[in-house]
Amino acid sequence: MNYLQNIKHKADRANVSRLRFWIQLFTFLLIVYGGYFFIHIGSQVPTFACPYNQGSPGTCYLIAMQHGLHLTWSELVSYRGLAFFTGFLTFIGFFIVFNKAWCGFICPLGTLQDWITKLRYKIGIRFSRYDSASFQKLKKIKYVILVLLIAIPLGMSNSFFGLAPINHDMQSPFCQVCPGRTILPLASADTSQIFIDFTNKTTLVMSTLGILITALFFVGAFAKKRFFCFFCPMSALQFLFSRIGILRLTKNGSNCTRCGNCNRVCDVGIIGIAEDITSKYIVKDDCMMCFKCVEACPEDNCLDVRVFNAKIFSSTQEGFFKRYIQPNELSLKNEKNDER
Amino acid sequence: MMKDNQQTDRFQRVVKAASIHYDMEIGKTMAAITDDFPDNPAAMKYFYEKHRNLIRNDSNGKLPSKKTIATLCIHVPVELILAVGAIPVRSCAGAFTTEQLGAEFLPAKSCPMVKSTLGAISYNLLHGKVQPDLIINPATCDQKKKLGEINEEISEKFYLLEMPSTKDSEESREYWLQTVFKLIRKLESVTGNKLTAKSLKRAIQEVAHAQRLYRKFNHIRTSAPVILGKDALLVTNAFFFDDLESWSFHLNLLNEELENRMKTGFRVVNERAPRILLTGSPSVFPNMKMPLLVEELGGFIVSEEFCSSSRMLWDTVAVDEWHLYDMIPALADRYLKPSTCPNFSPNTDRIRKLLSAIEEYKIDGVVCQTFTGCQLYDMETRIIAKAMEQAGIQTLFVETDYSPEDIGQLTTRVEAFLHSLKHNRKKQLI
Ligand code: SF4
Ligand code: SF4
Repeated sequence: MNYLQNIKHKADRANVSRLRFWIQLFTFLLIVYGGYFFIHIGSQVPTFACPYNQGSPGTCYLIAMQHGLHLTWSELVSYRGLAFFTGFLTFIGFFIVFNKAWCGFICPLGTLQDWITKLRYKIGIRFSRYDSASFQKLKKIKYVILVLLIAIPLGMSNSFFGLAPINHDMQSPFCQVCPGRTILPLASADTSQIFIDFTNKTTLVMSTLGILITALFFVGAFAKKRFFCFFCPMSALQFLFSRIGILRLTKNGSNCTRCGNCNRVCDVGIIGIAEDITSKYIVKDDCMMCFKCVEACPEDNCLDVRVFNAKIFSSTQEGFFKRYIQPNELSLKNEKNDER
Repeated sequence: MMKDNQQTDRFQRVVKAASIHYDMEIGKTMAAITDDFPDNPAAMKYFYEKHRNLIRNDSNGKLPSKKTIATLCIHVPVELILAVGAIPVRSCAGAFTTEQLGAEFLPAKSCPMVKSTLGAISYNLLHGKVQPDLIINPATCDQKKKLGEINEEISEKFYLLEMPSTKDSEESREYWLQTVFKLIRKLESVTGNKLTAKSLKRAIQEVAHAQRLYRKFNHIRTSAPVILGKDALLVTNAFFFDDLESWSFHLNLLNEELENRMKTGFRVVNERAPRILLTGSPSVFPNMKMPLLVEELGGFIVSEEFCSSSRMLWDTVAVDEWHLYDMIPALADRYLKPSTCPNFSPNTDRIRKLLSAIEEYKIDGVVCQTFTGCQLYDMETRIIAKAMEQAGIQTLFVETDYSPEDIGQLTTRVEAFLHSLKHNRKKQLI
C-alpha cells in the first residue's frame, strides 16, 4: 500500500502535458501510418482514423455510422439494423476505455491543432480573444452536424414527411466536408482529396465547402486553440456517452476556491470546470480530457483523474508549484545571514 | 502644496510626537508578543526585528533609487509593481496612534483601519517612513473608495483602482481586466519603466516561490502546534513591507526550524488547547489585540481567514503562455476570482472556505472580529453566524477597534468562550 502511495505521490508531481505531447506524437504516427505496418484496429474507431488516408490502420466511426444508417425503416429493424447496433456497441467499447481522452491524446486532428498552437506560441503571436457568450451558442453547431449526419443517410433511403428521398450524391455527407479527409492523406503525400467536384450542383457545393472548412481548420487553429473541436460531431457524439467512461475526471467542490486556474489553462475554455462546485463528474461539453486543469489546480485533491474510482492523478499544491516554478527564473539568495 | 504643509511647524510637531507614540505602541505590542510566551522560534527573530523597526527610517534596506508604490488592499497585483522595478508596500495601517491622526479627516463612525491608514499616509508614518510615489487604492468598500478625496494634500498621489462589485459574471471579469490594463499604463508612467514579458514572468515566479513557502508554512502550523498564531501573523504582516526575496529566505529558515520541531515532538501549546480559526476584519500590526488575547488565555490560533494573511498570500497565478497577452489576464484573474473579500456580492466562497478550513484544520471554535464602523464585515457576520450554527461550530463574535479600552471586557468574553470550548471537548471525550 505504501508502495502504491509512493507511486501516486510521484505521479501527482508529474508533468502530464509533456507526457501527453509524446503520447500524441506516438498515436499520431499510429493513426496516420499504422496501416503500413499491418496494424488493423477495425472500423469503429472513435477518432479520425480516416480511410481516405492509405496509411490509416482503421476506420473512423463517423463514416461507418453514415454508411450503416443508409437503411430503410424496415431494414433498420432487420439484421442490418442489428449490424448497425453491434457496430455501435463496438464503438462504445472502444470509447469508454479512454473516454474523451480520445480527443486529448489520440485524435490526429487534435494533435495537429496542438502543434499549430505550439508553433504560434513559439513565434509569440497571441491567440485571439472572442466574445464567449456568442461562442457558446456557435459551438452548439456540432450537435446540429451530428443530427444531420444521422438524418441525411436515413433520408436517402426513406422519405421524410412525404418528401422525395435525398439525392445519393449526399453519400457520407460529413466526410465530404471533413478536414480529416483532405488533410490526413497529405501525410501519405496524397493530395488527391483536395479537389472541387464539378459533377453536379450537390458535389460542387459539398466539395467547395470541404475545401473551405479545411482552410478554416488551419486559420482557426492558428487564431484559437482547438478551434475545429468546437464544431466536431465526433466530440458531440462522444460527449453523450462520457458519463459511462472508465477514465474519469472528477472534482471535489469543497476543496475548490474557484480561483479559475483550471479555466485559464483549458485549451477549450471551459468555464464550468472552475465554477461548478457541485458536480462530481466534471467532464463538460468540449472537454478533451487533456488534464491541463488538474496540473494547474493548486488545491489538494480538488480535481482528480480516475480509472473507475481509483485516483491515478490528482491536483496537489506541491505538484502545482513544481510544474509552475522554473527555478532558473529566481535569483534565490543563499546567504543572507547578515540580517539575522 | 504638500511641501508647504510639511514644512509647517505644526506638521513637524505632530509627526515628531506621533512617531514617539507609534514607536511606543510598537514596543508594547512587541513586548507582549515576545516576552509573554516562552517558546518563540529562533527564526522569528528576523520578523520581530522587522516589526520593532517598523517606522524607523531606512530600516528595510530599500534602495532609494527605486520608486515606492503604496497599495491599500490585497486586490492590487504586486507582481505588476515588481515587474516595473518599483517597491510595493502594503500600507493598510494598524496603529492606534495614526488612527487618532486620521480621525481629524473622517467621520467619527469610520472604520479604524481606514482612519489609521489615512492618518499614517497624511503624516508620513508608513512602514519605514517611506514616502510613496503613488498610492493605489482599490475601490472596495465605501470608506476606502472615498479615501483619496478627503485630504487634498495627498490626493494627487492617490490612484483609484476601479473594482467590480461582483466577481462571478464574465462582464465583471472583463471590466476588471481593463482596469488592470489601465493600472499597468499608470505604473509605467510613474516609474518610467516598461512592463516586459521577461520582467513580469520573473515577478510572477518570485511571488509564486514565496507562496509556495507560505503554503508549506501553513501546512506545518495546521498539522502540529509548533508555532503560535501571533507569530504566524507577524510573518504574513512582514509581507506588507519586506523585500520579497529576504522575506522568502527567512520564511524558509523558519519552516526548517518548525519542521525540526515537528520531528522532535516539540509543541508550543498543550495538545488540548482549543484550536481557533480567526476571521473578519483584518488584524494588522501593531493591532494584535485579538490574536494576543486568544493565545494569552490558552487558545491556539491554527489559521486566519484575513486579508492581512491567507487571503493575501494563498492564491496563485496560472499562466498558459508566458507572453504578456496571457500573463496579464492570468494575473487579473488571480486578484479577482478567488478573493473572499466581503465587498463582493455574493460572497459564498468565504463561507465555503471557512467550512473547509474548519474541517481540514480540525477547528474547535471560530473567532470572528468586526471593526466598529466596518459595515461589510458586520453584515457578513450574520451570514457567517447562520452557517456556523448549521455546521455546529461555536463562534465568538466580537466588535472591537484599535483602542485599548475594551481589553477588559474582551478578556472576559474570550475566557468564557475558550472555557466552553474546553468543556465541550471534554463532553465529547466522555
Ligand atoms: S483550479 Fe482548482 S481550486 Fe481553482 S477553480 Fe479550478 S478546480 Fe477550483
Ligand atoms: S476541462 Fe480540463 S481536461 Fe477538459 S479540456 Fe479543459 S483543461 Fe482539458
